[in-house]
Amino acid sequence: MLFHTWTFLLYFIATIAGFWVLRPTRYWLHWILLSSVVFYGWWHPYYLLLVFYSTALDYFIVGWMELGPRLFRPGWRLGVSCASFVLAIIVGLVAPAGWGGLAVAVVFFAAVLAVGHWLRNRRVWLVVSIINNLSVLFFFKYAGFAIENLNTLLARLGSGQLPSAESLMPLGWEYVLPVGISFYTFQSMSYTFDFYRGAIAREPSFVRFAAFVTFFPQLVAGPIERAKNLLPQFARFPRIKWSDVTDGASLFLVGLFKKVALANYLGQYVDRVYGDVPSQGGAALALATFAFGWQIYFDFSGYTDMARGVARCMGFRLMLNFRNPYLAVSLADFWSRWHISLSTWFRDYVYIPLGGNRVGGLKLCRNLLITFVVSGLWHGAAWTFLIWGALHGLGLIANRGLEQTVWWHTRCPRLAKRFVVFGFVCFAWVFFRAESFGQAMGILQRIFTAGCSDPQMPLLLLLLVVSIWAYQFVYESPLRRWLEKPPVKVMLAVAMVLWMLMFAPRGAEPFIYFQF
Amino acid sequence: MTQETKQPNSDSDEVPYGANAVRLSGWQWLWTLGFSLGLAWLLPVVWTEFEAFDPVPHYRMPYELSEDYWLYERWIGQLPPETIPVIGDSVVWGEYTAHNGTLSHFLSNTTGMPFANAGINGLYPLALWGLAEHHGGVLANRRVLLHCNLLWMSDPEADMQFDKEQTLNHPGLVPQFAPHVPCYRADADTRLSRALERRLEPLSWVRHLQQTYFGQKSLPEWTLADDGNHPPAYPNTYRLLPGVGGVRLSAEATSPDRGLASARHEPWSANQSGKVNMEWVTPESSRQWQAFRHLAERLQGRGNKLLVVVGPLNEHMMNEATRAKHQGFRTTVAAWLDNNRIRFVVPELLPSEEFADASHPLTKGYERLAKRLAVEPVFRTWLGQ
Repeated sequence: MLFHTWTFLLYFIATIAGFWVLRPTRYWLHWILLSSVVFYGWWHPYYLLLVFYSTALDYFIVGWMELGPRLFRPGWRLGVSCASFVLAIIVGLVAPAGWGGLAVAVVFFAAVLAVGHWLRNRRVWLVVSIINNLSVLFFFKYAGFAIENLNTLLARLGSGQLPSAESLMPLGWEYVLPVGISFYTFQSMSYTFDFYRGAIAREPSFVRFAAFVTFFPQLVAGPIERAKNLLPQFARFPRIKWSDVTDGASLFLVGLFKKVALANYLGQYVDRVYGDVPSQGGAALALATFAFGWQIYFDFSGYTDMARGVARCMGFRLMLNFRNPYLAVSLADFWSRWHISLSTWFRDYVYIPLGGNRVGGLKLCRNLLITFVVSGLWHGAAWTFLIWGALHGLGLIANRGLEQTVWWHTRCPRLAKRFVVFGFVCFAWVFFRAESFGQAMGILQRIFTAGCSDPQMPLLLLLLVVSIWAYQFVYESPLRRWLEKPPVKVMLAVAMVLWMLMFAPRGAEPFIYFQF
Repeated sequence: MTQETKQPNSDSDEVPYGANAVRLSGWQWLWTLGFSLGLAWLLPVVWTEFEAFDPVPHYRMPYELSEDYWLYERWIGQLPPETIPVIGDSVVWGEYTAHNGTLSHFLSNTTGMPFANAGINGLYPLALWGLAEHHGGVLANRRVLLHCNLLWMSDPEADMQFDKEQTLNHPGLVPQFAPHVPCYRADADTRLSRALERRLEPLSWVRHLQQTYFGQKSLPEWTLADDGNHPPAYPNTYRLLPGVGGVRLSAEATSPDRGLASARHEPWSANQSGKVNMEWVTPESSRQWQAFRHLAERLQGRGNKLLVVVGPLNEHMMNEATRAKHQGFRTTVAAWLDNNRIRFVVPELLPSEEFADASHPLTKGYERLAKRLAVEPVFRTWLGQ
């Protein structure tokens, strides 16, 4: 179910009505959970199994972390461990044809749980959570990519081939990437991490925890909320102020405009150019890359705005995920403005545990590179994503070096820095958008060698993007107070409503980040 | 990522609102909604003052604008009260003929009364019912001639009896939710969009703009549209608004596909020999017949003086069994119309050479049909002559 559809509007009205009616009871939380299940199950009911697995796993693991030592005596622990393991082996052995993949998974997970029970150590439980969550993520997101590359390698060595990921699916189920799996897996894991680090208390209610993980506005494309921020908001029925409703509606309007009027329009131009690279000139490819940079920004930040708006109307506050990233004056600044929930996730759970900024020289570079390569891979299983991440890591290292020069630090105008950062980000987007490494290299080569024929980018599209960029510049300048004047705000809102009414194409395009 | 900045949403901080200034208060929302809705409803009205629309004599909706229901409503709405709209599908519209070779044209000539061609190409009873229901509110308290094309009941597929998905003309006019049409497959969102579009005038006006000026596309899609050649050219890239032109509203462009000079304008027997078998559905099970009944009741309920012309179908191309079924169905139709006190005429079969196919007459056929209708006592009474 997409936010920018009439179906969602009806769903949301029903959800809000039930939410409001149930507010005097404790069932409003169950209602949110049920609504989120319906929202997510709308895509494919079997996705629900995965989100439920991920939720239950982290809920119970944190419970075992806290209560485990008290729950089981040593003898019981050994018994539970052995029983789990034996059961897993039996399931694996007697599994009928077609259930092989599932049986292997059950054996694997049960064995890991058994080890965890046996050792009853918080760190082991943390590892169990990581292995389980990442295994599910790996299977659905990366197995195809890994097997394809391994098979290529095995073929060169003259060895046998690995079975395809599709063949491991039970009951002939389709092997598809569950929508938003990377988002909810990371959100669920962050709860375990934060509990392990002592940053939050264990959540005793499964319903509350499940409502936190599956909360429908942010379930499929973020923001990746931290338990510390969102979970306490489910402790009691939120106090909904009138300003929450008007703020939520404002956020939704802006997000809807970004998606329907801008991202979809830009996407059509990008698809046209990137869909036929060999016959495009350098200017067209450069402009299409520029357009893609804005397309993905409008698409993703539009989704986030709508998610935050929907949540806000219900009295919940989701974190800010984008802060005009194309005004960044350095790459570090860019990452504090772009997909903030993910970048802070990687900062807290990967970069800082690796040593963060506190180490110097080569180790710092290593930490940056590892963090960004992993971040690139989070987006998808392809070499292009890995290269995109690595480019940002290297860019950040170079940027840090540049920041230490007097000229860059004090003399270079902020505007020039902004354009340099924007240019670099666009350059990296080539790898993000291209279908293969070869295509990305071909695009880069043609940008500089294929001449400057008419790029055929619609003037209207260019005017729209430039106007919004200019708006952002003004917003972050002392002239911002003009944009905050009520007539200006109303005029802009009316313009957005009328534009969508009159000019938006019919039909609902999905969001780019759903594939991640 | 490297700046170990303070979490924006830690417990002590208010979660930042956003990164733009469009944060409206309650009053500002009221102003926004007021302005937006006011403009949305005002623009179509103001537009009619600016957009020249003076239909030529014997006007019919241009083929390219068949789905421009806003224009249809506007046109029907500005017909003088004494003009009699002739409603129906492509048989009324004139699939093979020019605009001055249709039934309404010859009825006007024969009777001296003004008839208007209110048919639309591609309609069928289920869509006609939708057209009258949602865009035909102006069809009230006047004489209306309604054509009943029984061809839609001659075959289970044409009658939409099958579950298999069909690509329908005028999908925006068929019932979106109830009654259920099994061969019409659209997701819930599309159905809701279509249901809303036909209820909200600004949306159908936007469709009019798209149909007329933007090559049936939205403005953004229009700026990206190619010319269909290979390699493609993009004529609208640097245009912000369409130039003068687009589809002609007030008159029909001459088409090589229609009219006396057209290669298509020839008797059915020129391309087909032998009799065909038509399965026919029963009147009890027929969706199209049910829709037609609703349509007739709706038009009559609005105080119109309704006259239904049933057929004629081209019986020359039917085998014996088919002809018998056709006549049986026609008898049922006549009985129902009679029972519901709706005036009707079942015209005589036209000569074989005056049919272009199973249901569409050629120009001569329309002329003959008009002359035959004009002498029918029921028709004359209805006309007040």
